[in-house]
Amino acid sequence: MTNVVIKDLMKKYGKTIALKDVSLEIKDGEFFILLGPSGCGKTTTLLCIAGLLTPNKGEIRMGETVLSSSESDAFIRPQNRDAAMVFQDYAIYPHMTVYKNIAFPLKIRNMEKSKIESKVRDVSQRLGISKLLDRKPKQLSGGQRQRVALARAMVRDPKIFLMDEPLSNLDAKLRVYARAELKKLHEVMGTTIVYVTHDQIEAMSMGDRIAILNDGVLEQVGTPIEIYENPKNLFVVGFIGNPPINIIEGTLIEKNGEFIVEFGFSSYQLSSGIEIMKKTKTPEIMLGIRPENITITKESRENAIQAEVEVVEPLGRENIFHLRINDKPLIAVSITNKDLNVGEKVWISFDTDRIHIFDKITQKKIN
Amino acid sequence: MKEIKIGSKKMRLPHPTRVLLYFLLIFFAFLALLPLWSAVMTALKTQEALIYSNPIQPPIKPSLDAFGTAFNKLRIPILNSLTFTIPATILSCVLGSMTGYALTKVKFRGANTIFLLVIVGIFIPYQAVLIPLVQIIIELGIYGEISALILTHTAYGVPICTLLFKSFYDSIHDSLINAAKIDGAGIWRTYIHVILPLSVTPFVVAAVFQFTQIWNDLLFGLVLSGAGSNQPASVALLNLQGGFVTAWNVQMAGTLWYTIPSLVVYLVLGKYLVKGFMAGAIKG
Amino acid sequence: MNIKKITTRFKKKIKKIITRDKISTILFLIIPIVFVIIFIYICIIWNIVVSLSDWEGLRPSYNFKDFGQYIKLFTNKIFLTSLWNNIVLILIFVPGSLAMGLFLAILLDQKVRRENVFKLIYLFPFTLSFVVTGFLWRWMYNIRVGVLNTLLESIGLGFLSNKWVQDVDFAMFWVCVVLIWQYSGYMMLIFLAGIRSIPESHIMAAAVDGASSFQTYYRVIIPQLKAPIFTGFVILVVFALKAFDLIFILTGGGPGYATEILPITMYKEVFNKKHFAYGSAIATVLFLLIMIIVIPYLYSTYGGKKNERN
Repeated sequence: MTNVVIKDLMKKYGKTIALKDVSLEIKDGEFFILLGPSGCGKTTTLLCIAGLLTPNKGEIRMGETVLSSSESDAFIRPQNRDAAMVFQDYAIYPHMTVYKNIAFPLKIRNMEKSKIESKVRDVSQRLGISKLLDRKPKQLSGGQRQRVALARAMVRDPKIFLMDEPLSNLDAKLRVYARAELKKLHEVMGTTIVYVTHDQIEAMSMGDRIAILNDGVLEQVGTPIEIYENPKNLFVVGFIGNPPINIIEGTLIEKNGEFIVEFGFSSYQLSSGIEIMKKTKTPEIMLGIRPENITITKESRENAIQAEVEVVEPLGRENIFHLRINDKPLIAVSITNKDLNVGEKVWISFDTDRIHIFDKITQKKIN
Repeated sequence: MKEIKIGSKKMRLPHPTRVLLYFLLIFFAFLALLPLWSAVMTALKTQEALIYSNPIQPPIKPSLDAFGTAFNKLRIPILNSLTFTIPATILSCVLGSMTGYALTKVKFRGANTIFLLVIVGIFIPYQAVLIPLVQIIIELGIYGEISALILTHTAYGVPICTLLFKSFYDSIHDSLINAAKIDGAGIWRTYIHVILPLSVTPFVVAAVFQFTQIWNDLLFGLVLSGAGSNQPASVALLNLQGGFVTAWNVQMAGTLWYTIPSLVVYLVLGKYLVKGFMAGAIKG
Repeated sequence: MNIKKITTRFKKKIKKIITRDKISTILFLIIPIVFVIIFIYICIIWNIVVSLSDWEGLRPSYNFKDFGQYIKLFTNKIFLTSLWNNIVLILIFVPGSLAMGLFLAILLDQKVRRENVFKLIYLFPFTLSFVVTGFLWRWMYNIRVGVLNTLLESIGLGFLSNKWVQDVDFAMFWVCVVLIWQYSGYMMLIFLAGIRSIPESHIMAAAVDGASSFQTYYRVIIPQLKAPIFTGFVILVVFALKAFDLIFILTGGGPGYATEILPITMYKEVFNKKHFAYGSAIATVLFLLIMIIVIPYLYSTYGGKKNERN
C-alpha cells in the first residue's frame, strides 16, 4: 500500500511560515494534485515528502513506514525513500548521455550492468526516446529532455512519483499533448503520483483529487468536480475557473421565510431551494456566480437585474460579455447569445443552483 | 566618415576622433610593452654592445651569451620552482574544489559563516603570519626543503581556490543536486559523479591562477628556502648578480627566463587567467 | 528508569547528531579547515603573542612582556616614516590605477578593431611577477644607462631625465608609477566588464534624450560603476598595504627610507635585525589596518541576510 499520510506539517524558513498545520492523505494509486499560487507551499510540501526538506513539525508516512516525524525524530534520507522525482527544470545531468542519465539511479544502487541495460531500453521505448540514448542533453529539445527526466524517474519502479510542475517549461501546444500522455502513463502504471502545479487547467484535467493551498494553509481537498461545484471558501472559488467567478458584495435579508440579497442598486431573490447552513454574525455576504451561470435576456423579467453591455469578446466557440451593473463590473459567458451589442441594456439572472454565498468575514461558504 | 577625392579614387577618411583613439591605444600599448621590449633587446646584447647602444635599440649582432650565462645560474632554481609550484597548484585546486562544494551545495547551518572565515585568508598580509609560519616549518623539520614551500603555498592557496570554486558551483542549479539525492547518491557520490565532471572549467581557471601566483611569489621563497640549493627561481634571480657591477644583459636574460613559464601560460590559457582575476582575486 | 530505554534513546540521539551526511561533510572540509585554522588564525594570534613577548634574537622566547613594542612603534621615526609612505602610496596608487583603468576601459569600449589584442597587451603587466617588474623597471629607471633617461636624451628631452627612484623626494611617486603600470590592465578589465553589463537600453535612452558621448559616459555609465569601483578600491588598497616584493627589489626601501613601507620595515626588523617582538608588532598593525577595510567589504559582499541558507 503506497498511500501517503501527512499530519500537521509545519515548515518555516527563518521567520516565514511556509506550511501551517497541513494534513492530508494521498490514496494508493491516486493522481494527486497540489495546486495553488506561487508561494503557497505546494512545492515545500512535495520537497518534504521527498526528504529534501525537513519539516519543523508533523509526520509524513508512506504506507507503514514513517518517512519523517518531528515527535520521534525519525527521518529517512531522500536517497532511501523509494520516491522518484521529476523537477521543473528537469535536472538531467548535462555531462552524461541520455542513457547514462537514465541508468544513473540504477548504477548508484549497484544493479548489474545487463539488468540496467534492459531496464533503460524498456523505459526509453515506452517513452519514445530509444533513438536518443547516445545524445547529450544539450542536443535535445525541451520536450525530449522532459521525457528523459521522466524516464530516469520511471526506471526505478518507485513506490511513488513526485512531480514539480514538470510541464510548465514546455510550450503551450506541447503541453496539451504531454498532459494527455502523462495521464495515460498513470493509467498504465497505476503508481501513486503527487503532482505540483499552479495551473488550474492542468489540475482539473489530470487530477483524481486536488489539494488547494494558499499561503501555507490547506484550503480544500476534493475531486475536480467537488472543488468546482462545492468550493468551501472564497479563495477556492476564485482560484478555479476561467474566466474567474464574479463576486458581488451584498446583504442577506430574511423576509417571510425567503432570502433576499440586497446589492444596494437592486435586490435579488434567492430561490426557496437555497439553504443557508451557517448563521453569520453580520448579514454581509459575498455572492459568487460563475460567468457561465448567468442568463442574459433582452426583455425584462421578474427577479432580474438590469445591466449594460460594455465589451464583447467573440471567441468563436463562445462569447464573453463584460457587463456593468451600476458601477459594478460583471463577466458573463454565453454560447447562445450571439447578437448582443455594446451599449445594449440587458437583464440578467443567475442559475438557481449555481449561486455561491460566502460569509464576508470568514470567507466560508454558507449555502 | 568624410569622403574626399584623390585623383579619380574616392577615399574615406576616418573621423579625427577615431584617429586620436587609435593613437592613444597604440601609445598605451607601447607603454605597456616598453619595459619588456627593452629587456629582450638588452638580453640579446654582449657586454660591449650594451655600452655602445641604447637600451631600446636592437643589437647589431644579437648574442645568446647572456641567456646562456643566466640559464646556467638559474637552471636549478627554475627546476626547484617547478617542483613546488606544480604540486601546490594541484593540491590547492583539489582542496578548493572540495571546500567550495561542501560549503555551497551541502546546505548546513553555518556554511556561509565558515565560508567567510575562509575567505578572509585571501586578504591577510603574509607579514602577519610570517614569524609563526617559520616556527611551524622549523618544528616540522622541513626548513629549507621544497616540501616547506609546497605545504605553505597549498595552505595559503585554499582561500582563493575555495572562492573560485564556490562562485562556479553557485551557478549549478540546486535541483541537479536534489536529483542526485533522489537517485540515491550521497554527498561523496554526488561530488564524484555529478560535480567533478562539471568542474573542468573552474579547475583550469584555478590551476592557471594558482600556478601564476605561486610561481611569482618572492616572500615565502625568501623566508623559507634558506641559503641552500633549494631556492626558488624568484630568490635566485635576486642573487644573480654577485659582483659590484651589474651585468644588465645577464640580469635581463635571467628575468626573461624566469618569466617564460608564466608568459606561456598567459598566452595559451590567458582567458582562464582573466576569469580567475575576475572572481574578485587579488595578487600578492 | 529503564536502562534499556535510556540507552535506546541515547543511541537515537547520537544517530541524529552523527548522521552519514555529517560525517561526509566533515571529511570534505577537514583538511582545508585545519589548514585555515592553523596557518591563518592560529598564526595571526601567535604573531600577536610574539609582539607582546620578550623575544629578541634567534631563540624564541614567549615570556609575556607588555605592550612596549607598540609604544615603541608609534614613537619610532622609521616606523612613522614607513606608515606615512604607505599612506602616500595608497593616495597616489589607488586613484591612479582606478583612473587609468577606467580610461583604458572607456577607450576599449569604443568598438575598437582588434580589441582583444589590446586587452591582452594591457593586461600583460599584471601577469608578471613583481620580481620581474622590479628588475624591468630597475633597468628602466637606471640613472646612467637606463631606458628612460637614454630615451629622453635621444629625443632631445635630456633635461627631463632625473634620478627617478633614487630621488629622495619623488622616489615614492615613481614607485607608484610602476604599480599603476602593473595594475591598470586589471582595473581596466573589471571596469570594462562593468560597462558592458549596463543594459544597452540605458545607452539608447540617453541617446534619444540627446546626450553626447561624453555626457552618456559621465552621467549614465560611470555612476552605474559604483560596484566595480568599490571592488577595485578595496583590492588596490589591500594590495598597497601588502606590497612587499616590488619595492624590495626596486628600491629596497631607499633611498634612505624614502620608499620604505610597513611590510619592508617588518621584514628588515625581523630577518635582518632579529627584532622578533618588534617586527611582529609592526605586522599586527599592518594586519589591523587591512582588516579595517576588508571586514566591511566582505560583510557587504558576502555576508548578511541574502546569503542565509537553512
